[in-house]
Amino acid sequence: MGKKINKLLVANRGVPAVRVMHTCRDRKIRTAAVYSTPDRLAHHVFMADSAVHIGEAPPVESYLNMEHMINAALQTGSDAVHPGWGFLAENEKFARMVMDAGLTWIGPPPEVIRLMGDKIQAKKIAKRANVPTIPGIIDVKDIKEIKKWLRKENVEFPIMIKAAAGGGGRGMVKVESEEELATAFSQAKSESMRAFGDDTILVEKYIEFGRHIEVQVVADEHGNIVHLFERECTIQRRNQKIIEEAPSPTLNENLRNEICFTAVRLMREMGYRSAGTVEFIFDTSTRKFYFLEVNTRLQVEHGITELITGLDIVSIMLDVAAGKKLPFRQPDIHPNRWALEVRLNAEDPKTFSPSFGTITRLQVPQGPNVRVSSGVYEGDDVPPYYDSLFMLLMTAGADRADAIRVMDRALGRNLRVEGIKTLQPLLLSIIRHPAFIAGEFSTRFLEEHHDELVSMFKEKDSEDEVLKIAKYVAEISALGPQGWM
Amino acid sequence: MKNDKLKMQKEGTGTAHYVVVKPGMTPKEIVTSIRSNSKVFLTSTGMRDAGQSDFKNRHRIYDLATLAPYYNNMGLFSAECHGGARWHVGVMNRKESPFEEIELLREIMPDVLLQTLIRETNLWGYRPYPKNVIEYVVSRIDIDVWRCFSFLNDVRNMRSVAEVVMKRGRLFQPSISFTDADWATNEYYLGVVRDIVNLCGGVDEIIVCIKDMAGVGSVKRIGTLVDTIKQAYPEMVIQYHRHITDGLAMPALLAAAEAGVKIFDVEEDSLVRFYGEAPILGVQAYFEESGIAVHVNRNAAEAAVQKVREWIGHYEWAESPFKGYDHTVTFHKMPGGAFPSSFEQAEQGEFLHFMPAILKVMSLYNRIIHYFDVTPGSQITWVTCSGIVNGYAKERGESGVDHLIELLTKFIDEKYLDLEAMEKEDQEEILGLFRNVPGDFKNLLIGNYGNLPMGWPPDWVYRSAFGKEWEDRLKERKVLSPLDMLEDDDLVKLRKDLSEAIGRTPSEEEFILYLMHPKDALQFIEFREKYGEAPLVLPTDVWREGLRKPGDRVEFELWGKPYCIELVSIGGEHEGVIHVVMKVNSKTRVYTVETPRAKKVDIRMAKGPGDIPAPIKGNVWRIGNPERGTLKAGDIVHKGEEIANIEAMKMENAIEAPFDGQIKEVCVKLNDFVSEGQLLFVLEEL
Repeated sequence: MGKKINKLLVANRGVPAVRVMHTCRDRKIRTAAVYSTPDRLAHHVFMADSAVHIGEAPPVESYLNMEHMINAALQTGSDAVHPGWGFLAENEKFARMVMDAGLTWIGPPPEVIRLMGDKIQAKKIAKRANVPTIPGIIDVKDIKEIKKWLRKENVEFPIMIKAAAGGGGRGMVKVESEEELATAFSQAKSESMRAFGDDTILVEKYIEFGRHIEVQVVADEHGNIVHLFERECTIQRRNQKIIEEAPSPTLNENLRNEICFTAVRLMREMGYRSAGTVEFIFDTSTRKFYFLEVNTRLQVEHGITELITGLDIVSIMLDVAAGKKLPFRQPDIHPNRWALEVRLNAEDPKTFSPSFGTITRLQVPQGPNVRVSSGVYEGDDVPPYYDSLFMLLMTAGADRADAIRVMDRALGRNLRVEGIKTLQPLLLSIIRHPAFIAGEFSTRFLEEHHDELVSMFKEKDSEDEVLKIAKYVAEISALGPQGWM
Repeated sequence: MKNDKLKMQKEGTGTAHYVVVKPGMTPKEIVTSIRSNSKVFLTSTGMRDAGQSDFKNRHRIYDLATLAPYYNNMGLFSAECHGGARWHVGVMNRKESPFEEIELLREIMPDVLLQTLIRETNLWGYRPYPKNVIEYVVSRIDIDVWRCFSFLNDVRNMRSVAEVVMKRGRLFQPSISFTDADWATNEYYLGVVRDIVNLCGGVDEIIVCIKDMAGVGSVKRIGTLVDTIKQAYPEMVIQYHRHITDGLAMPALLAAAEAGVKIFDVEEDSLVRFYGEAPILGVQAYFEESGIAVHVNRNAAEAAVQKVREWIGHYEWAESPFKGYDHTVTFHKMPGGAFPSSFEQAEQGEFLHFMPAILKVMSLYNRIIHYFDVTPGSQITWVTCSGIVNGYAKERGESGVDHLIELLTKFIDEKYLDLEAMEKEDQEEILGLFRNVPGDFKNLLIGNYGNLPMGWPPDWVYRSAFGKEWEDRLKERKVLSPLDMLEDDDLVKLRKDLSEAIGRTPSEEEFILYLMHPKDALQFIEFREKYGEAPLVLPTDVWREGLRKPGDRVEFELWGKPYCIELVSIGGEHEGVIHVVMKVNSKTRVYTVETPRAKKVDIRMAKGPGDIPAPIKGNVWRIGNPERGTLKAGDIVHKGEEIANIEAMKMENAIEAPFDGQIKEVCVKLNDFVSEGQLLFVLEEL
């Protein structure tokens, strides 16, 4: 096709928007940002060459509003749209609208998004491509069906109820016992309806002590499909990843080859194009992996693959969307690092309840082998309406121990965020935990070690302590001697 | 801080070694060293009682620690730096913990015996604590010399403290509370001393203190008292604690020394005002001239006196408004340690002008009921007498107060406390005297603190205090020590209560603070979580006044690193908020300070058992559930049923009914943004 991209609309905010814009800067592609009312002064708005207001705070009125998004692209003279991750990234209709408006869609074909967005369809295709899938039932209407399946297949709790349209950990509810079934079912349905506008449900056996392993794939429209090896994302809280690493410490060479080529086979089967990820759950006890889903978009944790391969996946997406061939073949890809990523969410590290507000001070980690992908700047507000992720912190090293050591420095010594609570203390406890260091953990790591991890939080830090003293000095300076003295 | 400390240690004067007794020595070694030394010794109260007597206990460890390097080689018997009201005022007002103070002083003056003052079963509080609390606390405080007194001279009450202290190998210093009154004879005190010797198994491992806390012992009297004790116990080492309030301290100290007292309480000359102890340099000079050798490093003492002048000016605000010596103390007996706080209360309560009348009533009161005016007795006297005077003032004005004093004077001086001898009308009035007394006065009457030194007050006092029930209460009167009456506290539960209150596991020190003063300890912990080590590292002018003008700065060290806070500007007040701009280690920061006029948005928090709180902060996007739709007041809900849903950062959080119940009130509106713990519903259990 040979379409040239001169200006790109980034249909997103925060970390993904800023990430995409960095590559555009590298490529000398001008960018257009979109913003909701509370995001008027957000980081991504100032990163861009121009910016358009697209609506009020609630996502449905702004970042999920497809018409406003297309208008913004046309109004800013953009010729392509990158959806980032989240929001409209896996929305088939939006992809079509972008293309219908004569713009280049930076992502896989709408048909592929549709198929993979429906977990039921995806499962069917996986089976067709001989990819192992988790035992379960699809298109579940009520809990009677679930009970019937449990009896018939002799399945034991826990089980997983999933929104067919879900993703990114949303619309997934783990059920431990029959009593919880009704509430969990309606919660999954409701969350699914609210989040994705669809409440089709599937139910699967829950793999205990599973490990989450995924394969990054890139493909062009000329039939070339290359995997960029795997990532392991086993450390999760509430089904959302918080620490990822590449390569996976779980796999040996044989398994690694098998899982990577299985992913390529599946992607080839469906005619994939652009960057995408095939997610698997790895059962430690049987050493078997099962297909989970395909993410038809750039993923949060793509950065660690970039660190181990030296590639820029966003840049590849831009090239592929413009009709170019992949500039490499499978044998050219040689990962030679270990990389680790932690997600800094604006959340209470003990309870995970959201913590929004103004970032009054932000000191970003520096030093060798650190990559920071931030969605905010000092003084920025973290509004309550969107995802709590505000920064990704990645480190690399010659081996896993190296990468962990650098992460310890970055999290424990360099990073300072004031004004909001973050997962920083929890993340630090995790990477210092002997089981994590030994590589022995499952998706239940956090539940199993929660209290222990919290008890490892560093009690006091002199930087924090001096600010308490300063706060006192400020108050007394303003108010004078106090009655209690 | 560390460098400062090393510097401070170096500053300690002189190379000659003056240390005779030091931490680590057994009680016996200490007693023998003092007894066999031909000189007399000094205890400095500069770090505790000096501040308590004239500065409302506000001297901060930040300043007091500057004396420590001089103390370390001053040759003191001990430094009183702990106990009395210093503990409680530290927690309430200075926001320092006694544990931090001990730790710091141990580091800077490792060769000095640290001394506390403890109120037998009342420890450092104002009520009797049960035996297990006493044992728990006393065994965990790192103090070398334990001066222990009973305001009733009820030696039985000292047993637990004595046992724990002596078992730990620390020096126990039992005290006799001394006052000068017709009923308090030398024979009476000898009886108290005898009880003490019996309790402690002899005189070789204790030092006995005569605690003249009001400064009322006349020169002759104190000499004969010491003489009486020394004749009975020639080997006993006696220490004399005497306040200077009556203006006769110096000759009284000398008389005591001549009669055989070995250790004297003194304070830095520059700390001396009107209610504390005698000046160290003056005492040394006067004693030496009178032929009594004093063991003290005079150079170090002079240097400490000078050091005080560097910071004492910051405490002028804390000094008592009642200036000058007061020889009438020999009648009203208010102890030095209670003077400043009483006047502070009188000032706050706007009855300062009645102070002379209150002191007069106190001198009459203590001829009716006999005990010693020292904590908690002095508080009981103060609250009772100031209450009576204020009651008369309120009902009948100043002439009423005059009338009260006339009535009591007549009753005591003319009728010798014979109620029947009074006219009918006066009898009625006297019976109304204690009608509104505080609960502690009643506790005292029914024996909750222990036995009174001269027996129980006459029956009419009970009639006055308890009204119709007086005979019943009289029957309940206890004769046992509180040590044998009080049930043990449930320490496991108390620790759990504290954990719940502060939301984390408390440290051992925090738990002990909580055992002493639960409410104040919680406030202290909250303050320190908010303001960290501000009370320890900030100089006193900044601690009290903050930074006054742009460019003012404060420099300090925290955990081995230097810090500097500089004021850039203080904004004007706008809608109850002032913005303060400061540079903290060169980085500019803006602080939003709420003034007392700040608008407080009143959020109802869930408190009661039927109150349903928001588990997280977020948006209430649904009240009710999809099956039943919106719920309203009056609806019946079932246990486990979803009654609302809060969304925060795209996660749904179902609020479920904790029990079957009826909704009494829906306290939020749809789409309200709620805080964690905010009241959502009031539910009534069915």
